[in-house]
Amino acid sequence: MTLRAEFHLARRYLIGLRRRTNVATVTLISLVGLGLGVVALVVTLALLEGFQSSIRRDLVEHSMHAQVRPASGRVLDEVNQLASLLHSSLPDVEIVRSLRGNCLVASTVDAVPALLVGRSDVESVMADQVLAARLGIGATGAVDVISPRQRLTPLGPVPVRARVDVKEVGVTEPGAEGGVLRVPLEVAQRILWGSAQVEALDLKDLSAPWRLGDRVRRVLEGRDGVVVLGMDELNRPLLLALALERILIFVAVGLILVVAALNLLCNVAMVAAEKRRDLAVLTSLGLEPVRVRRLFLLLGLGIGAAGAIGGAAVGVATAWILDATGALPLPRGVFVVSSVPFSVDPMMVAKVVGLALILSAVASWLPSRVVARREPAEGLRYE
Amino acid sequence: MSENNVMIRLRGISKDYGEGDARVEVLKGLDLEVNKGEMLAIVGPSGVGKSTLLHLVGLLDRANGGLVELDGQDTDALNGSERARLRNKMLGFVFQHHHLLDELDARDNVALPMRIAGRPATQARQEAEALLDTVGLSARLTHFPDQLSGGEQQRVAVARALVMRPQLLLADEPTGNLDRAASDGVFRLIRDLHTEESLTSVIVTHNEEMAGQCDRVFKLAPAGELSGYV
Ligand SMILES: Nc1ncnc2c1ncn2[C@@H]1O[C@H](COP(=O)(O)OP(=O)(O)O)[C@@H](O)[C@H]1O
Ligand SMILES: [Mg+2]
Repeated sequence: MTLRAEFHLARRYLIGLRRRTNVATVTLISLVGLGLGVVALVVTLALLEGFQSSIRRDLVEHSMHAQVRPASGRVLDEVNQLASLLHSSLPDVEIVRSLRGNCLVASTVDAVPALLVGRSDVESVMADQVLAARLGIGATGAVDVISPRQRLTPLGPVPVRARVDVKEVGVTEPGAEGGVLRVPLEVAQRILWGSAQVEALDLKDLSAPWRLGDRVRRVLEGRDGVVVLGMDELNRPLLLALALERILIFVAVGLILVVAALNLLCNVAMVAAEKRRDLAVLTSLGLEPVRVRRLFLLLGLGIGAAGAIGGAAVGVATAWILDATGALPLPRGVFVVSSVPFSVDPMMVAKVVGLALILSAVASWLPSRVVARREPAEGLRYE
Repeated sequence: MSENNVMIRLRGISKDYGEGDARVEVLKGLDLEVNKGEMLAIVGPSGVGKSTLLHLVGLLDRANGGLVELDGQDTDALNGSERARLRNKMLGFVFQHHHLLDELDARDNVALPMRIAGRPATQARQEAEALLDTVGLSARLTHFPDQLSGGEQQRVAVARALVMRPQLLLADEPTGNLDRAASDGVFRLIRDLHTEESLTSVIVTHNEEMAGQCDRVFKLAPAGELSGYV
């Protein structure tokens, strides 16, 4: 069966191009409404994606991509053997032995709790911005690290403490609450455990950070006593928050599209009412009920497609221009980027356009049901 | 009369509108037969149900009871799509109001049934032009309905009704809105085409003179009273 007659009618006649009827006007309004909804959704999601991808980039840059930990307890056994196995199987991966624990860091100003991170690749002591600020040490300075571990002295048990020299202040890792003191591995071992043991192997592979967990898991398959954490497990709360943010924004802004679709529904229902006599005439001339429905679906989808594609084009162009020109500057120091970042994900645009089309189809499908069910006699009777 | 000589057969047709207290019984137990090639006039007072009857014959509405047979085929069993296709192929309608589509010119209006039937646009246009020529409007092809006189509008409507070469022409007061001269012209056109195209025609009319020129006249009476040929 051919759709040509329906196309012909939907275009030429239902929208009424010959005269500027109010149907044509309302149709234009529906189209613009839907288009604006798509623009809003595309720009908002591009903004979100811009921020989120800058956060993810930061995460990849500053944190580890996988970690090998003991399955139980805190001591990783056979570290050297593990490390050489990983090194031979995954030569490009950077392997660092590490140890973490809570401690109290005291300066002349204040004493604050902090996370002590010992790493085999670290030579000097670094405090992150948050810790440095709390300690009031400005750029650098000497601090005392007080361990929860105790040592027996003639005066009774006293906490182990050590004086370290903070040489630099680093950025706070994304997702970390702050308060991190990074020291050479041996220093951490001395302060926290008093023995030369390691808690974990921190792995980094900038070429494919998100896949590293799986690759390591494959290498260590069947090996008891260790667990492997990938990016997803290591940063679960942060990634969950990002995903949740996306979903909520999509739903909230997507409601604009639902409103636009309701407007389209009103428009299609209005066409159905306004053109009731003409539809009855078409039916009397032999247009089958299914084709009447198709006519209305076509009408709604036509408006939907025009609005969605136009809106997507405007939205993508807006996001691109705002990103390329850096038109919306951000205060320095607060964010990692200097202007509001926009990032257009083609998949996301496809989803938005798809949603707009689905909503248009539903919006025109509902009135079309009513139209197709009527007997033509009703519409023909009165002028 | 042999069985396959009957084009329209109605048996025990009843039709009512509305529900409960607002229920109006329009047709009740109506029987009617129209032979092939016959031109039947239906007359009766206003509001008696002439249009209702014509709509039932034309498969534009469904009766509450009874049988509608067209060319020996029981139409009751047909679904909406089958009824639509039958209207497209077999039936032509002319109404009191022209019911042309305002957005299409005369030629496109006449071509519409062919487009609906899925014929190519060029063929539909050629046929439309031929029929507009037949009804004497070859100079009005690209005029829109509001650029035509009442008589011309009805001629376009007649052309549209016949473009698919139907067997059956149904006209509901086709000259009801026209002045005397236009009215005579349109009726003469219908009568001539009825003969030329070997149609079976049912014409609802208030005009005694026109009814007199038909083969038979059926007088429709209010429900409960006896309708019959006069
Ligand atoms: N949809 C409807 N609802 C209720 N009553 C109707 C409807 N359509 C027609 N009628 C009634 O049915 C009767 C017959 O109408 P109609 O067939 O148009 O008469 P005629 O064509 O003979 O003037 C009238 O009384 C009219 O009011
Ligand atoms: Mg009537």
